[in-house]
Amino acid sequence: MITVTIDGKEIKLEKPVTVLEAARSAGIKIPTLCWHEQLERYGGCRLCLVEIEKMPRLQTACTFMVADGMVVRTETEQTANVRRGILEFLLINHPLDCPVCDKAGECELQNLVGKYGPAKGRYKEKKRKVPESLEDPIIVRNMERCIMCTRCVRMCEGVQGASAIDVISRGGHSHIEPFSGGKYDCEYCGNCISVCPVGAIMSRLHRHSFRPWQMENEIETICPYCGVGCTLIVQVRDDVIKRVVPRIGSVVNNGLLCTRGRFGYEFVGSKERLTTPLVRIAPKTQSGVGSQESTLSQPPFDKGGSQGGVISELFREATWEEAISLVAKKLSEIKEEYGNPAIAGIASPRCTNEDNYIFQKFMRVALGTNNIDSTARTGFAGAQSFIENIFGQGATANIISGLSNSDLVFVIGGDPTTVNPILGLQIRACSRNGGNILTIGNFKGLEYFSPQKLVPVLYTEDILLEGIVTVLKNKKRLSDANSKLEAKIKDISTSIEDVKNICKIEEKDFNEFLNILSESTNPSIVIGKETAQSNGASYKLLLLSAINYLINGRLYLLSDRANEQGLLDMGCAPDILPGYRPVSYVESKRRYESIWESELPGKTGLTIFEMVNAAKNGSLKAMYVMGENPVYNLPDSKTVEAALRNIEFLVVQDIFLTETGKLADVVLPALSWAEKDGTFTNMERRIQRLRKAVNGNGMEDWRIISEIARNMGKKFDYSNAEDIFNEICKASPLHKDLTYEDIEKGGGIYPYKGEPLRDGMEEIQVHNAERLSVNGKLYLRIERPLFHSGTLSRRAPALVKIYPEAVVRISPDTAKALSFKEGEVVRVSTKIGSIELPVVIDKALDNFSVMLTNNFEGKSAYRLMGYDIEPVTRASVLDGNTVAIEKAGL
Amino acid sequence: MLSKAAIKELNEIRQKYPDASAALLPALYIAQREFGYLGADAYEAVSDALGVPRAIARGVGTFYAMYKHKPMGRHIVQLCTNVSCMILGAEKLSDFLKNKYGLETGGTTPDKRFSLVIMECIGACGTAPAMLVDDDFYENLTEKYIEEILEKYK
Repeated sequence: MITVTIDGKEIKLEKPVTVLEAARSAGIKIPTLCWHEQLERYGGCRLCLVEIEKMPRLQTACTFMVADGMVVRTETEQTANVRRGILEFLLINHPLDCPVCDKAGECELQNLVGKYGPAKGRYKEKKRKVPESLEDPIIVRNMERCIMCTRCVRMCEGVQGASAIDVISRGGHSHIEPFSGGKYDCEYCGNCISVCPVGAIMSRLHRHSFRPWQMENEIETICPYCGVGCTLIVQVRDDVIKRVVPRIGSVVNNGLLCTRGRFGYEFVGSKERLTTPLVRIAPKTQSGVGSQESTLSQPPFDKGGSQGGVISELFREATWEEAISLVAKKLSEIKEEYGNPAIAGIASPRCTNEDNYIFQKFMRVALGTNNIDSTARTGFAGAQSFIENIFGQGATANIISGLSNSDLVFVIGGDPTTVNPILGLQIRACSRNGGNILTIGNFKGLEYFSPQKLVPVLYTEDILLEGIVTVLKNKKRLSDANSKLEAKIKDISTSIEDVKNICKIEEKDFNEFLNILSESTNPSIVIGKETAQSNGASYKLLLLSAINYLINGRLYLLSDRANEQGLLDMGCAPDILPGYRPVSYVESKRRYESIWESELPGKTGLTIFEMVNAAKNGSLKAMYVMGENPVYNLPDSKTVEAALRNIEFLVVQDIFLTETGKLADVVLPALSWAEKDGTFTNMERRIQRLRKAVNGNGMEDWRIISEIARNMGKKFDYSNAEDIFNEICKASPLHKDLTYEDIEKGGGIYPYKGEPLRDGMEEIQVHNAERLSVNGKLYLRIERPLFHSGTLSRRAPALVKIYPEAVVRISPDTAKALSFKEGEVVRVSTKIGSIELPVVIDKALDNFSVMLTNNFEGKSAYRLMGYDIEPVTRASVLDGNTVAIEKAGL
Repeated sequence: MLSKAAIKELNEIRQKYPDASAALLPALYIAQREFGYLGADAYEAVSDALGVPRAIARGVGTFYAMYKHKPMGRHIVQLCTNVSCMILGAEKLSDFLKNKYGLETGGTTPDKRFSLVIMECIGACGTAPAMLVDDDFYENLTEKYIEEILEKYK
């Protein structure tokens, strides 16, 4: 026990900490500028100098460690004089332009000068003049205001791991710059903005639009973008989101944000938002898809924001009463005429648990069908159920911060730093803490974190993984803990020759990789969507499960949607009921029948792909789409579009008039993430609270559906999201007895108080797909960029400024072979379509791959990609889409 | 782009250091030699070769005044104008360079043959004035002597 006295207060400490930390633990505030609790200590600004008895000079509290019996005084005449002197120096070059500085009011320098002075400077020379840099669309740099605390540089390098900025030059000429000196070429996390104590690095999104003290409300909620579920503080004035900031100490992201979370909020206030229900007036035609295509890509509103243009051609405005009774009437008629299986619903990984619960209840109770699915089917859902069938429910519900404490992280199938950026930071932290990063494939975001890479030839990952299992099972003893899996492992075998010859991997690299892998004591495995969407995905997932089992690791399944996990847990799948209970279980069906006081369909429903087929062949007559854009977010989107045109009655409930919405018979305006209460379940299966920050024009998704259900004579009486949550927690064994209050107290961590499903595991089914050979051909693959998510992000102006247009990425060799230059516009064609867009030459790519994002209207990868269905996981297989690239305009 | 030989040299240097950032200074010298000075291309080449982020490479490079930060002539004339050299006429020599060769302080001759850097003491106070041309040292300078010396550098 160490006892120190700071300002007369006796403080007892278990272990040695710095004087500053000791003081803070006792609530004593020592002024600082370069110190920041998320950063390594630095000792640069000297503002925290304190008097320590028996020490000849003042000491910096942020670096000086306490010792037993130490007596410290933090506020004396001497420290005040010193601090005033330091601040006078800092003000030599500071422009004191507080009246036009957005930081004024929350500026640490301003506050300190207010407290310590000086009231007057003695410096007679001219101040340093540096023009404000407005070259970047997102970040403004004002180097006159900079005090060289280097917090931004240390954040960028030591925490974010982007190392995009540094101190340039030295002495009085020092300034902070990105490499180019002007525009940033970085991850745009904006964490430099968070830590800047002055107005030197600021966001342009809200420039000169408010003063920090004018903020009317601050709401803590959860990010709408990816499955990590970061806590956001949404700052509001005049019912408009002015700024999104992180909170230090928040559970998942602890004071950090990524570009989507911080800068992607502007879609909420977009002029494109739907404001009233719409009823179709234009006839639905199958013919003239080409001409329809052009309307699909037109902006739905006039520039002035009034409804017009495409909207008035296709729809008329309707009242809520009219729209709701129309939907109820039409759905009842179709149910009556064609029976329950002719109706299907698509739920949304962007909607809350409450929305999704009500949605599936509506489909099951009011429409009597299990035809409920979502885009989680394209990868996440099948992969998770496959893994859970081997290891039990909750196998992927691992705490994200656990990655930084792992001694090894094995990554496959997607760059975590772009799909789930804050999770990616934990992997970078693992490397910084001395852990090993092993990757199958090239991942740019981990490039500076000394990854051991094995990069097999495209579509030969399964042989490499077989090779890894073969070696591991000889190194590790099988324990019979999981006999089902071990039986499979015993059959897995391949030779090093195959790994060398087919995957083209050097034996030396392979052995080194395996030595590291097998010696790890606390490993984690991160699986991305590309693996889940690959040819033979179930076999690869088996191999990865085997590796996980043999090295005793933790599994993480990347998720690019905020509530992908929650939607599954709410039962928005054709084969599961809330609480992730199989429909086929008589017991769980009975349970919900008694709680919902209604008979439930016993037959498993259609998957989203089966729905598309059913729509195409005419057996599906009605579809209800909530917060999803299947025409855009499903592969082979032209076929999806044609299929949805074929549906007799299509209801789309969304915040924008999406590509899917334009095909609808009734469009219902919903509320966005910032406008409603509810909960999201992140990829750790942590349930977190969403809180309403601003008002919107639509209705909550659950409220719209409840209104329709009531109109159909069903009992759907809920007054708020909490009512629904309470019903969920009454009904679902997984969410047993949970309340909003519990969640707020941190009780949202899996497995809550619930009962995960432990029994009823089925045999491990694997589909051995025929391997694709890649001789000389180019294949289209999906790029998953950091800056976009699709329907939302392309309506967030800041993200569009950072990544403005679709590009096609090819390797330098491919570019050379086809003699394309960077930026040249080319035509990319597959069997099902072609688009023209500029080339980007990407050194990280192999010579068989062509990468395209699915984030831009009219130029999305899914318009060019056909797919197969993986028989076991029932996910879409996107491998094998051959592609040709040629000069545009030929 | 760095030449193959330069990349090989860089890789050899890299092996002498515990991590890539430690090898930055010598690597930047190689890049400076290859590119003539440290500009964006040079930093990018070093960054790619060592796997050090570009901004960090530039941050380190710009800290040191003895790297060349802009394009310079084939030969660098570094003239001392500290106290001893100044007393013994270094400033006149500086004027001479300007009048005869058009060499301004920090400037480069139009034919890109010479650049002039006014530098701090090179420890030749006993034989002042003194200068360096590239890595060669010259002392007891006079205008005539400078003419003779510079003839050797084409």
